[in-house]
Amino acid sequence: MKKIIYSLAALLVLLVLGRYLRPAAQDSGYDLAGFAELPVQVGGRIKPLDSVARNTLLVLAARQKVETLDGQTLSPIEWFLDLTMRPERADTHPVFKIEFPDDLGLEGLAQPGKRHYSFNDLRPHFETINQQFREIDPEPKKRDAYQRQIAELNNGLSLYHRVMHSLHPIGDPQRLDQLADEYRSYLSLLQPAMAELRKQQAGEEYNAELVKNFLGYGEDYLRLSQTAHLRVIPPPAPVDPMDDWLNLGDELLNVIQTGQLSPYAMSYASLTMAYRAGDAQTFNKTLTQVKERVAADFPDDIGRVHFERLFNGYKPFAIAIELYILVFLFVCISWLRWPQALGNAAFWTLCLAFALHTFGLAARMYIQDRPPVTNLYSSAVFVGWGAVLLGAFLERFNRNGVGAAMAALVGFATLIIAHHLAMTGDTLEMMRAVLDSNFWLATHVVVITLGYSAMFFAGALAIAFTFLGILRRGFDKSAARSLAGMVYGITCFAALFSLVGTILGGIWADQSWGRFWGWDPKENGALMIVIMCAITLHARWGGLVRERGIMALAILGNIVTAWSWFGTNLLGVGLHSYGFTDSGFLWMCAFALSQLLCIALALLPLRFWRSQFALSKS
Amino acid sequence: MLSALLQIFSSLKLTVILLSASMVLIFFGTIDQVEYGIWHTQKLYFESFVVAWQYPAVWPAGEQLTWLRIPMFGGYTIGALMLINLTVAYSRRFSLKAAKLGLYAIHLGLMLLIVSELLTDLLAVESQMTVPEGGRANYSQTIRANELVLIDRSDNEFDRVHTIPAQDLKPGRTLDVPDTTLHARVLHFYPNAQLVQAQGSRNPANRGVAAKMGVTAIPQAPDYSEKAINTATAYIEILEGDTSLGVWLLSNVLDDRFPAQTVQADQGEYEIALRFQRYYHPFEIELLDFAHDKYPGTEIPFNFSSKIITHHPDPAKKQQALIYMNHPLRYEGLTFYQASFSPDETATVLQVVRNPGWLLPYFSVLLMGLGMTYQFGLHFSKYLKKRKTA
Repeated sequence: MKKIIYSLAALLVLLVLGRYLRPAAQDSGYDLAGFAELPVQVGGRIKPLDSVARNTLLVLAARQKVETLDGQTLSPIEWFLDLTMRPERADTHPVFKIEFPDDLGLEGLAQPGKRHYSFNDLRPHFETINQQFREIDPEPKKRDAYQRQIAELNNGLSLYHRVMHSLHPIGDPQRLDQLADEYRSYLSLLQPAMAELRKQQAGEEYNAELVKNFLGYGEDYLRLSQTAHLRVIPPPAPVDPMDDWLNLGDELLNVIQTGQLSPYAMSYASLTMAYRAGDAQTFNKTLTQVKERVAADFPDDIGRVHFERLFNGYKPFAIAIELYILVFLFVCISWLRWPQALGNAAFWTLCLAFALHTFGLAARMYIQDRPPVTNLYSSAVFVGWGAVLLGAFLERFNRNGVGAAMAALVGFATLIIAHHLAMTGDTLEMMRAVLDSNFWLATHVVVITLGYSAMFFAGALAIAFTFLGILRRGFDKSAARSLAGMVYGITCFAALFSLVGTILGGIWADQSWGRFWGWDPKENGALMIVIMCAITLHARWGGLVRERGIMALAILGNIVTAWSWFGTNLLGVGLHSYGFTDSGFLWMCAFALSQLLCIALALLPLRFWRSQFALSKS
Repeated sequence: MLSALLQIFSSLKLTVILLSASMVLIFFGTIDQVEYGIWHTQKLYFESFVVAWQYPAVWPAGEQLTWLRIPMFGGYTIGALMLINLTVAYSRRFSLKAAKLGLYAIHLGLMLLIVSELLTDLLAVESQMTVPEGGRANYSQTIRANELVLIDRSDNEFDRVHTIPAQDLKPGRTLDVPDTTLHARVLHFYPNAQLVQAQGSRNPANRGVAAKMGVTAIPQAPDYSEKAINTATAYIEILEGDTSLGVWLLSNVLDDRFPAQTVQADQGEYEIALRFQRYYHPFEIELLDFAHDKYPGTEIPFNFSSKIITHHPDPAKKQQALIYMNHPLRYEGLTFYQASFSPDETATVLQVVRNPGWLLPYFSVLLMGLGMTYQFGLHFSKYLKKRKTA
């Protein structure tokens, strides 16, 4: 029997892994991976085009794939190729996610059941959208759902336009068929046109036609320089990572001074022409040249860029999410049947999920060259990681499934939160000056986030205690005592980490602006966690509460921690803005309510409890 | 009776109640920052004995519920009770045991932290110093407080500044201007006001800009938000003996950009002004260079820094320093932090902090951290031992 269980569990795990690790569907002949690896500077750092494609798509469509009208599924980089090289085709792809199209009041737009719309669908409504956008509240935190939707759509359209024109000038698509020729003609005009312009300035006779042609290019490229979103042209080698890259428009204008067009600009033009002509061979040949040039120009940095492209494809967090679900299922079933075999399967699956979680965390640290927590997204990833680590430890010592199940629960929940936080775009953004301190990020932020992990894990164990105590007959006195001991131990751990983390934060504040403590929302939130731990511990030492009281306090700790982590972010934007309209506020309330319910359950009179633990008490 | 009282004051029950009260206080003291800004909320909640939270009018059903108030103990009350609780508890139960050393350290650290926070409230002074590139400054100022000054510029070497803090400017009071024979009578004082030109309306002032331009003040409710600057404004009558020299309209918006208002007294001429409170320092700070770097292609700053040199009458104290994020300069009992800069990036704004107790939290933190590590380490090793024997 054991063997069958193990094989079944292994099969399920393999199914999950297989879904993510199978190779790309069809081979188009283009070296998509090579193109996806090309570096670009955006948001202050150098990253692969693949990341740009994915993040842009996330912002627009809230997912990382495109379903075309003819039923094809495009990967982000395929969509990006269409967007920048075959815009007339890209304009038909439904990539603008509109949650409630009926509410926009755009006549003829909404189609039943359809939530993704193409640029062409929206084209007739640009005027109206822009008009509506100008009328909404300029303060983003005060907007309601309708206003947020308008703002998202308007910003999305502008982002789409700007990313589209990262690799080619603004104009009709046919222009792209001769892009390299256009640049060559512009370059050949350069010298003569300058000579003619000097003549014009000197008041001599000059070739007006030639000057007009040249100025036409100039105007176009100026417009492009103001529009193009991506900085795709690196400065001449050797390149310092903090040097400014240029966007295509700037580079084309720059030619007037330098007299030379960057080979990167020319290569992107050739790639565009080859892609439009459907000539995969030329495309791949040109791409090989570009890649060699990149490798020569960025010997130290390109490895990181390539790794980021690979990492994007692996999706370790997505796999971990599904594995955590499996772990939870294994444990739940193990409480009914085959406790040992399924318990083991749960433990090892948890270890695998944890390994993936760790790999994702480490990969982000390598790409960003930073400690693990740098923003809200990474804090969610790290909170889950810490809780799973604690849970795996507990499970290792007490093979009863509780540690594994609760670790899986917290790991799952935090990664889902992270997934939703990632919708705003790049999660590897640069750090503002005051935060730019690897020392404090590595100490204060990491320690305080581990404190969150411990709080949530203690809270999750307390919820497990409550449910087991109420529902499971086999939950006896010794099991209860052992679980209560775990909650106590982890609360001690949380107290230590929260206190040390808060104190380190105070020292950082004293170092940065001369105030050890400033009573700001985030500081207060951290302090509330410390006090929550102190309450739990003192109440236990003073004999004021017994097992169930401690559980209720530990669950209350969940609310306090969620408040400190997220609630305080809702506040603090200007005066009188409580962030009621923020969707985060609703989730926060829902979470608090669910926890209050659990507290009520924990305090339910013992006669409603079915477990032996309860019977032994009453 | 006494022992019953001691019993209460040393009980863990009181500890838990006080901790819970502090949690409630902090929670409401956090959300009320949306209403009153950090600075004012801090005064209301944490530097007070009692406070009442009021249901904000902008919340759902705010109009029906604004009568709802939740009274609670302020930071001073809770802090004091905690100190008493700790002192009494430990003086009654103290015994030198290795198993409890960590607990003693944690709680001693906590007491030190409460005391240091009180000291900071009472003693710390924060102000800001603006220095233009290539220029020097010998004072810092705070926008949170104002002062009435009469400046005697008759000496070529230095100015004599006679100061009355704005918190003393209560309407109806007559105050001596220090080190002069003059008196200042306060006709009106507004913590925040708007200055308007209203020719012909009744104007309490009869000298200076008010009389010349017909400017009068309309009182406004003070704005407590983080960056808001309140326009403190006053009508001040200056008296020499019993003779009135006139009434001036003074306001902190009437600063260096405007011609100085003057008082003609028998003793000589004084400039008169109501301005942000200044702290003069016995040295000057010269800004050599201000740098503001952004990540390429973004508006995200990654560095602000001010390269400065200090000029002190004692040449041994001349010092060059680079002040940047997380790297302040500690000099002459003051600490200088990079705080801000002028919009055109040619002047730096340094936060100047005098906090005699700044080291206390460090000691307290050391005690608490060590204590906790010791105590939980002890617990954990006991737990592991138990596991082994079991």
